[in-house]
Amino acid sequence: MNSRLIPILMTVILAVLLAGCYDASEVDDITHVLAMGIDRGVSDKWRLTVQFSTIQDSPGGGEGGDGGGGGSGQSQGDYTHMTVDAPSFFAGLDMLNSSIPRELSFTHLGLIAISEDLAREGLMADFIAPLIRYKQIRGSTPLMVIKGSALDFIRENKPYIGTVLSKAMQISTRASMNIGFFGHTTLGDFYSDLKSTYRQPVVPIGALNDFKTFREDGPKWGDKYKDEGEYLAGQLPRYGVRKIEYWGTALFSGEKMLTELNGTETRALLMLRGEFKRGFFTVQDPKKPELIIPLDIRPKGKPKVRMSFKDGIPNIDITVPLKGTILAIQSGLHYEQDPLLSLLEKTFEKETKSEIDQLINKCKGLNLDVFKFGDVGARYFATIQEWEKYNWNSKFKDAKINTQVEFVIQRTGTRTKTSPIPNRQEE
Amino acid sequence: MIEEGKFGVQETVWLMVSTIVTKVFYTSPAQVASLVGNVSWYMTLISTATAILGFTFIYLLLKRFPGWDIATIMKDTLGGFFGFVFSIALALYLLFLATNTLSEFTEVAKAYVFLLTPSSFIIGIFVVGILVMCILGLETQARFAKLAAYTMLTGFVLVLILGTENYDINRLFPILGYGADKILITGLARSSVYGEIVILAVIAPSLQGTYFVKKAGYISLILSGLLISLSVLAYSLSFPYYVAQEIVAPMYEMAELIDYGRFVQRVEPIFLFIWFFSSFISITALFYCFVSLYCKIFRIQDIRPIALGSALILFVSALFNMDLGVGAVQRIQNIRQYGWIPPFILPLIALIVGMLRKRGVRSHE
Repeated sequence: MNSRLIPILMTVILAVLLAGCYDASEVDDITHVLAMGIDRGVSDKWRLTVQFSTIQDSPGGGEGGDGGGGGSGQSQGDYTHMTVDAPSFFAGLDMLNSSIPRELSFTHLGLIAISEDLAREGLMADFIAPLIRYKQIRGSTPLMVIKGSALDFIRENKPYIGTVLSKAMQISTRASMNIGFFGHTTLGDFYSDLKSTYRQPVVPIGALNDFKTFREDGPKWGDKYKDEGEYLAGQLPRYGVRKIEYWGTALFSGEKMLTELNGTETRALLMLRGEFKRGFFTVQDPKKPELIIPLDIRPKGKPKVRMSFKDGIPNIDITVPLKGTILAIQSGLHYEQDPLLSLLEKTFEKETKSEIDQLINKCKGLNLDVFKFGDVGARYFATIQEWEKYNWNSKFKDAKINTQVEFVIQRTGTRTKTSPIPNRQEE
Repeated sequence: MIEEGKFGVQETVWLMVSTIVTKVFYTSPAQVASLVGNVSWYMTLISTATAILGFTFIYLLLKRFPGWDIATIMKDTLGGFFGFVFSIALALYLLFLATNTLSEFTEVAKAYVFLLTPSSFIIGIFVVGILVMCILGLETQARFAKLAAYTMLTGFVLVLILGTENYDINRLFPILGYGADKILITGLARSSVYGEIVILAVIAPSLQGTYFVKKAGYISLILSGLLISLSVLAYSLSFPYYVAQEIVAPMYEMAELIDYGRFVQRVEPIFLFIWFFSSFISITALFYCFVSLYCKIFRIQDIRPIALGSALILFVSALFNMDLGVGAVQRIQNIRQYGWIPPFILPLIALIVGMLRKRGVRSHE
């Protein structure tokens, strides 16, 4: 046989064999789970809820309502969800697959929602952490702690705008980059922080708003000032169709959720961690406290952390550099230039420093380094053995922390000055 | 004499670099992380330096016998019996490396990509491909390695750049990991990672002279060291030490974590391309050198029937290795601790004996 014929023949055989591989899955053989909720079960240890597309065109699109009832599966327009009580994730998966005419695939999972009671009882490590081993679930999947039931949360998880739920979820979970009232934690982040000798885990919070805090009638608010960040998840005074809101942060000590941060505290947390990207802040007008000045705030760089140790106690100096743009000046005063510009900068620096200090004191009280200070602390130890022996997470409560906020107003928006409104009646 | 063709330094360098660097895509980085912590990225430079020293012995040996292959040199320096034993030991070492690399490749492929595909199918397809390349010859392999290198390097750099979003410089601290002593000991022992450089002694006659062997060897080792160090640095920056040592294939997971919103994500196919191609080049080179060395030892002129039989041995031994179960990978890693002995010590012994017996250039002049 021609010596060149053998390689050619082998190559042809190879190409034919490669075309039909065992792991091939037809697109219509599988259904992609978009969101997964985990609660404590009643009939078994865990209650697993999965949400997926029905791959059907419905007239109402994603706006379709619930089917209602207590069955294991309910319609959500183009999407549906199924729930099962099972001893483990994988047992639940097989149980669900027995009643679904497709195979569930988690390769495009867009959200893992964990109920708060499960998190507070320290059961997340039992259920969530081992999932990292499962090939189908990516480490980059966003993770949320849900106030109330994860099943109820999944029930309400609909696109509302457009018909594509995966896109809606992706945009929602990444909205933190524009508002800063909640962060972004992935399964990989949580798994890593759970085992960390440097810091404690944090997870953003999701909740269903029942709109009860929105009051249509009652005495009008007046001129009092309230920081929008003071609300907790599920309590924003709003009204509308979509009940889901992401707000605040759950702080963990190891595997156990200890407390919840509101919007303002979450922004301070993100600033200290170097994860704050952008947010609209409201500052009381220093000259007219009944009025406000909204600012568009962004980081001017990563926080600068300097550390020293005295008698084994860490002394931490942290500087948070921020920059901002003036969005509006209700008073019409000339804050675009000095001396009012400097006054506005100092006012914001003072307020932000105060918020940061309050958060640090709160976390020190709980002995939780959620600020990634330990990451810098490790630089002062030569070996891992020395570092682990020091046990940073147990020493954090004694740390002396000095904070500083450096803020500059870089832009004044589309106006360089504000002309006064003539004949305005001053009270 | 077997006709293996002639090729240049560039082809040799890329063949060697692909053969050596491919290990970084498997379980080795995690294993090393469990030994030294977060400092594997500079520990491997100690291994590179040790391997350079080891290669110097190989080069000095080849320099004494210009244009000769290692089997002939061993026979000349150590005599018929010991030359045969040493050459067979080296050949078996190469087969052992090929088998382990193939098993490890299959293990990782099954863990991440081909979850349902039987091991025999993956190994079988691979072995058929290797056989085709062996029949096509060494020159084809070297030229293919050079051709694939540009694409692989582009993909490699792309993955490293895209991974920067997950890098955290603080993960490199504490700077001495599990201690300077462990870094030094592991660094010396892990010079076995670069043990494939001994292939140069097998394919030396295909290069244009001993000077080119020297040039190709040192460039290959330095380039491999830098690429391995860079890869390990990237994954050390991506995962803290306590997570890095748990992961089966840290480089793959690093690629999997790349996620730039809805625009750039799920880029691991780029990594898969690099991984598959470099594994293919690596196993083919090791396997070919085993067959070539075997033929040279027994003075067999036609490599093809030996390649066919050896391919069967490779298939069965890789499959057998897989059947050993989860402990196989651990065992492979343990053996790697001593893997520096055959590639560096055997040529060193031959060199010393050759010098004592005054064999080599002077005796043949």
